[in-house]
Amino acid sequence: MAGNNGSGALSSGNFGEVYVEGVTKIYEKEDECQTVLQDCTFHVQRGKLTVLMGPSGCGKTVLINLIAGYEKPTSGHIYIDDISVVGPGRDRLVVFQETALFPWMTAYCNVVFGCQVRKVTKCEIKERAELVLKKVGLYEFRDKYPSQLSGGMQRRAELARAIINDPKILILDEPFRGLDAMTRQLMQEFYVGLFEEVGRTNLFVTHEIDEAIFLADRLIIMTFQPGRIKAEIEVDLPRPREFRMLASPRFMEIREQAIELLYEEAAKAFAAGNKTAYDLVGAVVARKGICKKQA
Amino acid sequence: MKKLKKVFNIRVLRGIISIVIFVGLWQLVVFVKVPYLKNLPYPKEVALDGISAAGTKIYWLNWEISLIRIFIGFIAAQLIGIPLGLAMGVSRKFKDFTFPVFEILRPIPPIAWIPIAILFWPTRELSIYFLVFIGAFSIIVINVLQGVSNISVSLKWAASSLGARPKDIFWRIMIPGSLPSIVTGMTVGMGVTWNVLIAAEMIAGQNGLGRMTWEAYTNYNIPLIVVGMVSIGVAGYLCSSLIRWLGERAMPWKKRF
Ligand SMILES: Nc1ncnc2c1ncn2[C@@H]1O[C@H](COP(=O)(O)OP(=O)(O)OP(=O)(O)O)[C@@H](O)[C@H]1O
Ligand SMILES: [Mg+2]
Repeated sequence: MAGNNGSGALSSGNFGEVYVEGVTKIYEKEDECQTVLQDCTFHVQRGKLTVLMGPSGCGKTVLINLIAGYEKPTSGHIYIDDISVVGPGRDRLVVFQETALFPWMTAYCNVVFGCQVRKVTKCEIKERAELVLKKVGLYEFRDKYPSQLSGGMQRRAELARAIINDPKILILDEPFRGLDAMTRQLMQEFYVGLFEEVGRTNLFVTHEIDEAIFLADRLIIMTFQPGRIKAEIEVDLPRPREFRMLASPRFMEIREQAIELLYEEAAKAFAAGNKTAYDLVGAVVARKGICKKQA
Repeated sequence: MKKLKKVFNIRVLRGIISIVIFVGLWQLVVFVKVPYLKNLPYPKEVALDGISAAGTKIYWLNWEISLIRIFIGFIAAQLIGIPLGLAMGVSRKFKDFTFPVFEILRPIPPIAWIPIAILFWPTRELSIYFLVFIGAFSIIVINVLQGVSNISVSLKWAASSLGARPKDIFWRIMIPGSLPSIVTGMTVGMGVTWNVLIAAEMIAGQNGLGRMTWEAYTNYNIPLIVVGMVSIGVAGYLCSSLIRWLGERAMPWKKRF
């Protein structure tokens, strides 16, 4: 499918895959144990866009932190290709849920940070930065500080900071949360275009059904408390993806399937008093109502 | 731009009006001889005394002496306090060893150190430097410590993923990340420092703005007391402005556009 043709400058085409095997994560708080993740096993395929979905609080960010190597699983293993994850590494770069741009650096300095600390030569840095900044449309804004950029621009800067290093795997944790609907749609379009151009292995976290299906090659649905892998859905919509596919019968079919799976978990999260889950349940209930009427 | 200028002018005007009203009230209070305040000089007397004081060499010498004391004590506090706070923030072990002692000493008001400072330091001047140091020290340490621990963990994670070594994380994340707190600590510390300096000068000094004010009191020269007070206020304000200016320079990303 998505190959690395025509993207030689952006990427060397050396991508990886992730194996998560029997990963459990338990947090201990004041004699109380909270099992956040329980026996999670899945595979992020090379060159594919895998979307991880689940209600708010189900442990998606924790799972990302484990894959990125920021935290260690209580039990189980994570492999990148066939190398066990022992700590953070440049082969897996994360776009964080809350912005993690360095506020004291300009967009340019943020983007080149990785190259600078690795002592890449100055002129190579400059050349690559120019290419990447132009790619994400921030070249004109390179001297602005993050606080002077709009939400969408911040996300693009963060994306640029990751892709300039050509990671084997790109991990994005709800990157478009908090953006307004219009910006969000533009960002999704931009992001999916970038993915289709480069064909890098991507792991994308979201709790928006439409976003998930629009982007994904494969959907992984998680359960709520404890977080387990509930199901995997193959999304066989053709690429390049376009927004009009959101109305296609196949999209609807997949969506119904995903909603069925998610509903139970969202309701559980809702019952547990999770605020953000409220929106998801609301959306799902509305959706179900419509379906029943149509049926 | 034009609009901004207009607003600015209105605000300046309001400020001027408030000062005029204040001086007017002062004049009135003296004029009607409000009980307990009847010894207060007229604003004009203070102004005249101030002008004549400003013509003397000794007045400016007092300024110089006080400012030198402030800067020596204050800078010493920063030079020792900032690295100490950073070390406490970075290393849990170091913090566990040092913080308890620090917490025991911290609640002691800097002025309470005056007697022991005078006894222990060989010269009065050194004891005043020391007191100024104490005034700024604990505040900067606490602020740096807080600044370091407030740096979001995802910034450190992001940096280490991008290939930063501990050295890079320290210089490029921890230092700039705690800079806002450092500046806050310095601003607050500068205020405390002036309090301490004036008390120390009144009790132990032979010169300086605090001593000048105290001597005016012993000579029952009330206008000169007020001149001293205003001078101290102005000096403190100038020092704080300097810190604020430096802070803005050091943190261009905080500028509002
Ligand atoms: N460091 C930690 N210590 C203790 N508990 C934690 C820690 N990190 C996360 N948790 C708990 O793990 C659970 C899952 O959190 P996580 O942030 O992974 O959820 P999420 O799926 O990313 O939710 P959202 O969609 O809102 O981002 C939460 O109940 C949270 O309280
Ligand atoms: Mg999360």
